[in-house]
Amino acid sequence: MIGFILADLRRLWLGGAVVILLVALATALGVAVTLQERSLRLGSARAADKFDLVIGAAGSETQLILSSIFLQPAPLPLVDGAVLSKLAADPRVAWAAPVGFGDSFAGYPIVGTTTSLVSSTTSGFTEGKMFALEGEALLGAAVNLPLGAEIKPMHGTAETGGNTHASPAYKVVGKLQPTGTPWDRAILVPIQAVWHVHGLGEEHGHHDEGEHHEGEAGQAEPVAQISASQGRKYALALGAASSRHVEEEHHGSVDPDAPIVETFGAGTPGLPAILVKPKTIADAYRLRQEYRTGSTLGVFPGEVLTGLYATLGDAKMVLSAVAAGSQGLVAAALVLVTVIHVGQRRRQIGALRAFGAPRGSVFLIVWLELFVLVALGVGIGFLLGLGAAHIGSQVFTAKSGVILPVGFTREDLRLALILLGFAAVLAAVPALLAYRQSPATALRA
Amino acid sequence: MLPLKIESLAVSFPGLATPVLAIDNLAIAAGSRIALTGGSGSGKSTLINIIAGLERIRTGRVVWGEQNLADLSEGRRDRWRAANIGLVMQDFHLFPGLSALDNILLPARLSRVASADVIKRAHMLLDTVGLKRPEQHVETMSRGEMQRVAIARAILRRPGVIIADEPTASLDLESGAAVGDLLLSVASYAGSTLIIATHDQRLVERLDRRLLLKGGRITGDTDHKEIAA
Ligand SMILES: Nc1ncnc2c1ncn2[C@@H]1O[C@H](COP(=O)(O)OP(=O)(O)OP(=O)(O)O)[C@@H](O)[C@H]1O
Ligand SMILES: [Mg+2]
Repeated sequence: MIGFILADLRRLWLGGAVVILLVALATALGVAVTLQERSLRLGSARAADKFDLVIGAAGSETQLILSSIFLQPAPLPLVDGAVLSKLAADPRVAWAAPVGFGDSFAGYPIVGTTTSLVSSTTSGFTEGKMFALEGEALLGAAVNLPLGAEIKPMHGTAETGGNTHASPAYKVVGKLQPTGTPWDRAILVPIQAVWHVHGLGEEHGHHDEGEHHEGEAGQAEPVAQISASQGRKYALALGAASSRHVEEEHHGSVDPDAPIVETFGAGTPGLPAILVKPKTIADAYRLRQEYRTGSTLGVFPGEVLTGLYATLGDAKMVLSAVAAGSQGLVAAALVLVTVIHVGQRRRQIGALRAFGAPRGSVFLIVWLELFVLVALGVGIGFLLGLGAAHIGSQVFTAKSGVILPVGFTREDLRLALILLGFAAVLAAVPALLAYRQSPATALRA
Repeated sequence: MLPLKIESLAVSFPGLATPVLAIDNLAIAAGSRIALTGGSGSGKSTLINIIAGLERIRTGRVVWGEQNLADLSEGRRDRWRAANIGLVMQDFHLFPGLSALDNILLPARLSRVASADVIKRAHMLLDTVGLKRPEQHVETMSRGEMQRVAIARAILRRPGVIIADEPTASLDLESGAAVGDLLLSVASYAGSTLIIATHDQRLVERLDRRLLLKGGRITGDTDHKEIAA
């Protein structure tokens, strides 16, 4: 029987290949959508679960999370520096770390932060050590620079017309182990250095309320987010087009050899975000509640992601519907083709019975032939879908640093079984026609 | 080896006023060799299909040995035919893509009766029908060779009856004669009952008894001696 089926398929290899290809493509589409959506969920959840509570100024929760956790360049309102002092002193807080964005180097965002954040959110160093001086920098695992490299911060990014600071460069002193988060693509420097590069901080208390306009009018000019001025509500981060700028004349006041100080007093400049590690879950909820009033916004990254997943889920549903539609069309086309095909093969199949083949084997031959083709197509489709999702994830990881785990789960096994079950039913249609075919009319045809 | 008895058989098709076949009484002795003749549309193929168990019998009895085919369900009729009837048709109904040997064995394999003995017999039969290359694919064979493969397939399971419908009609004179020889010799070697529907006068003359059909009725029944006489 197998020999007969193989001989038959070899004879009809072109049609068989088309059937396999159609089924594989339709399956791959659905599988890729499912895998990609799941890996986005998992990857973003993993990236976010390093950070328990994010506090920023009142505004968009989503933007706060996207900027602080996914390091997406976008304008953020600033929260008063006093909030950080208050949080740092709060007994319910294990640690609270400021983050400052705005500069970049060689396409990698430069993030100002503290040693406590670095040591609590990473699993250590692959090379070198923690920064200890204002002029030192750490590299995320995905930053392709060597230890000892000089980093000259640039406002915004090169693509958006950033300009290099006149200030002295940072020196790379350590490289962190991978975390699978966008922070792997970041260059981490002491927050104090970021302030100083931009002429902020305790030693530079005075400010001009942002009246200075840097560069020509209309020139796209990204601006650091660090500003002492609370009167100016928005600072612009990487890539944002704006002519407003923190004044350059304050630049260059970094002392690369100054030791870093991580006590944040009254003179702390405004901050785009503060990452907080509460001591207990109850503390986390209480803090979030307390900092959701007035000018501050306390957010659990998880809750924002849940909202984003709903959108992602909608997109997935649309794509899945498209995939299901194409699968349905392929299935309908297959039924049509095979019914016609069996019609043309009446003689052959009916003859098999006339010469002594049992009726059941006629059914089985036709059923197996089609089922094997469709099952092959489904199998290849799963591999294609997996490959496509892998490629998609790699592109995404290269762009964002978020590692997207692509893999099959039980749910996919169920999908495979459903598809195979459907193929079994589908293949039964022409098989049943052949089964009911009278051998006498088959011989006569 | 099986005798046939037909009683009050009537075959009608929907939409036709008169039955295409009506046989009140016909007996064929075991091991006899019968020619079924008649004009086109006279009912030869219909009768062949009925006695081969390919068609359901609604009216009448068709009894091979002890077995009335009208009593059998479709599946049991298939099984009975596989064991008792060797069929040879005008179009050979071989399966392209398979070798001569595989074609001979195909129905037996699908019925799961292709034991080592049966496979050995298939090789032997290839020799009997005069084919030298068991592995040759059938689509590369001449028509005469194809019909020989079909005959080998028909007699693989040592059927008690060999039934052929126009076995020589699509062959040239020479290979037609060879196929006729072959059918006669394998039937007489095994003692099988042989029934051949044919227009081929030379083949008819070599058989024992001739049945003439006209409009679905047997209008002539002559023994070979009378034909010769
Ligand atoms: N399924 C069917 N439905 C309707 N009529 C049929 C059917 N099968 C056969 N017939 C009719 O039965 C008659 C006998 O047909 P049959 O094929 O037995 O003739 P035949 O003697 O074999 O002819 P030929 O020598 O041309 O093969 C014909 O008139 C044919 O049209
Ligand atoms: Mg006929």
